[in-house]
Amino acid sequence: MTDTHEPLISIDRLARHYFVGGETVRALDGVSFDIRHGEWVAIVGQSGSGKSTLMNLLGCLDTATSGTYRLNGADVETLSDDQLADLRNKEIGFVFQTFQLLPRASALANVELPLIYRGVSRKERRATAEQALRSVGLANRMHHRPNELSGGQRQRVAIARALVGEPSLLLADEPTGNLDSQTGEEIVRLFGELNARGHTIILVTHEPRLAARCPRAIKLMDGRVLGDGPGAEVAALQGPRAVGT
Amino acid sequence: MTRFLDNVAMALGTLRANPLRSLLTLLGIVIGAGTVVAMMSLTEGLRLKVTTDFAMLGPGTFQVQKWPAPGTFGHRDWRKYEQRRPITREQGEGLRGLPHVRLVSIEEYPNRPEIVATREKATRRNVEVGGVLPDYLEANGVAIADGRFITDGDVALGRRVVVLGPDVADLLFPGRSPLGEEVRLRGVPFEVIGVGQRQGSILGLRSKDAWAMMPWPAYEVAFGRNANNNVALVANTPEDMPKAIDEVVTRLRRLRGLSPGDENDFDYYTNESATETLDQLISMIGAATFGVCALALLVGGIGIMNIMLVSVTERTREIGVRKALGARRGRILAQFLFEAVTLSALGGLLGVLLGAGVAVGLREVMSVPTSIPAWAVLLSLFTACGAGLLFGIYPAARASRLDPVEAMRTE
Ligand SMILES: Nc1ncnc2c1ncn2[C@@H]1O[C@H](COP(=O)(O)OP(=O)(O)O)[C@@H](O)[C@H]1O
Ligand SMILES: [Mg+2]
Repeated sequence: MTDTHEPLISIDRLARHYFVGGETVRALDGVSFDIRHGEWVAIVGQSGSGKSTLMNLLGCLDTATSGTYRLNGADVETLSDDQLADLRNKEIGFVFQTFQLLPRASALANVELPLIYRGVSRKERRATAEQALRSVGLANRMHHRPNELSGGQRQRVAIARALVGEPSLLLADEPTGNLDSQTGEEIVRLFGELNARGHTIILVTHEPRLAARCPRAIKLMDGRVLGDGPGAEVAALQGPRAVGT
Repeated sequence: MTRFLDNVAMALGTLRANPLRSLLTLLGIVIGAGTVVAMMSLTEGLRLKVTTDFAMLGPGTFQVQKWPAPGTFGHRDWRKYEQRRPITREQGEGLRGLPHVRLVSIEEYPNRPEIVATREKATRRNVEVGGVLPDYLEANGVAIADGRFITDGDVALGRRVVVLGPDVADLLFPGRSPLGEEVRLRGVPFEVIGVGQRQGSILGLRSKDAWAMMPWPAYEVAFGRNANNNVALVANTPEDMPKAIDEVVTRLRRLRGLSPGDENDFDYYTNESATETLDQLISMIGAATFGVCALALLVGGIGIMNIMLVSVTERTREIGVRKALGARRGRILAQFLFEAVTLSALGGLLGVLLGAGVAVGLREVMSVPTSIPAWAVLLSLFTACGAGLLFGIYPAARASRLDPVEAMRTE
């Protein structure tokens, strides 16, 4: 089984370069840190600082140009496409900024999705998905389609879908970005509860205010780590350029 | 099993989302499958009908005559056959006693159909009459429904008797037995001694039941002698037919004084040779249908490919989400392939129903002989599914190769 001393995530000099029209965009340029089981970490930084790129790497949706990434003790670079798919399916729960719910499917069907690819039987799938929707307070919205739900409710469906497979890691990219501040507040509180119940959470945000509420934050700037420490301190960091201008 | 049901559910979900568009796309497949079933039902029906309707001879029977089998010679050859010497009654008698020949039926016919009349009524000029021997019955696969057929006694004693086909009997003696009644042919009175069993018609066009057969001596009293005879021969068993044909041809060549190098100046044919030309025609219709259907299925397949490509484009985001949530490439491939096959199977099914409907409609409303062959139904469904599978591969492969990050970014 997993060595308890081994961190959940361990990245070392991770880089992701895009090659666009003969130019190299260093979206991520040598990032190293560890995240242990049960942590709640914010990844914060201005727009374009490389947060989404990092999140795609951590979520095994994309592969690094260089550097290493160990997730739960496994070397992600060495895995095939199908193995990465399995890893995403079992180990990672995604909450996307734009929800990414299937528009034609009910809330329940959306939440069932990860279980489909895990080969869970229909009956068991249904029961588990209903349980996940209840846990985010949507017991009476299960058969609604996304367009029949409010923004906050959609994000809850997305969170239920991320949680339904009991992944090791919950990855949320700007989960409050499309929500009004009050609804955003509810979602952040929900993350707090989930973390208290033992879930490891990585929350990507460009809002220092939100990062300040997380026990730990990692601040990115131009694809590099500017700071890593308690949320309130790191959120307040100003980059050299920001200082200069 | 869970996976199979999931795929079916997903495929049907897409169909439900775009029923009209799906249906339009399926038109090619529907038409292709429908045409196969309708045309194959028609040709199969014709084929069955032809083999029963044109079976003029009994089993194991073949016929020699100076004319070749109908449909095998062109207009230009007519003179050549016309000039052949007739096959005489004596030559016919000379074919008796061959080891593999059981019966010899010598038949004498006038050159055209005749009228049969009573004092009150007359048929139209559409009755096939002939002067025959008792063996006519078996050699021609005719059965007697009422009374009896011609006997050796009738021939030997020159009795003026006649056996009527059911059409003639019904027309002249509606609702009563014609046995013992008198009919006239060319003014000569004949006593009706029997009525044949009904045989139906050739493709619903020409009745096989309008006939009147007499012992040949009595026939010659009414019609005079026709020097040209048909001779129908029955082999000991149907398997003996090739040997029997050999014996008959050899004997007849000798009887007609042909030298070894001479071409036969007579022809023989069997039931099979009578239907051969029609069979060929039907096969050609079948081949043409296949061409049309192959084309329709190709068009249908391209339609499927097109709609699947549109579907992949429209659902790029969905594919991205599915992959992000752990769908392997193979699952996405299977999902879209399954959808293409479901779509085309549905088209095939609609086509089969349509084609079968046309076939049944033709039969019930226009009494065209149709028979829906199971193999045509299966063939249509299989090829439709095959087209879906084949033309679904490219779009499905494209879907499975999408990059999840890119895919989720599309609007
Ligand atoms: N697919 C891509 N191709 C080229 N450049 C990209 C691509 N994705 C991101 N980038 C660039 O990488 C940098 C970091 O982007 P991103 O990770 O999306 O930042 P953030 O999420 O912090 O706003 C940006 O300059 C962006 O333009
Ligand atoms: Mg971003």
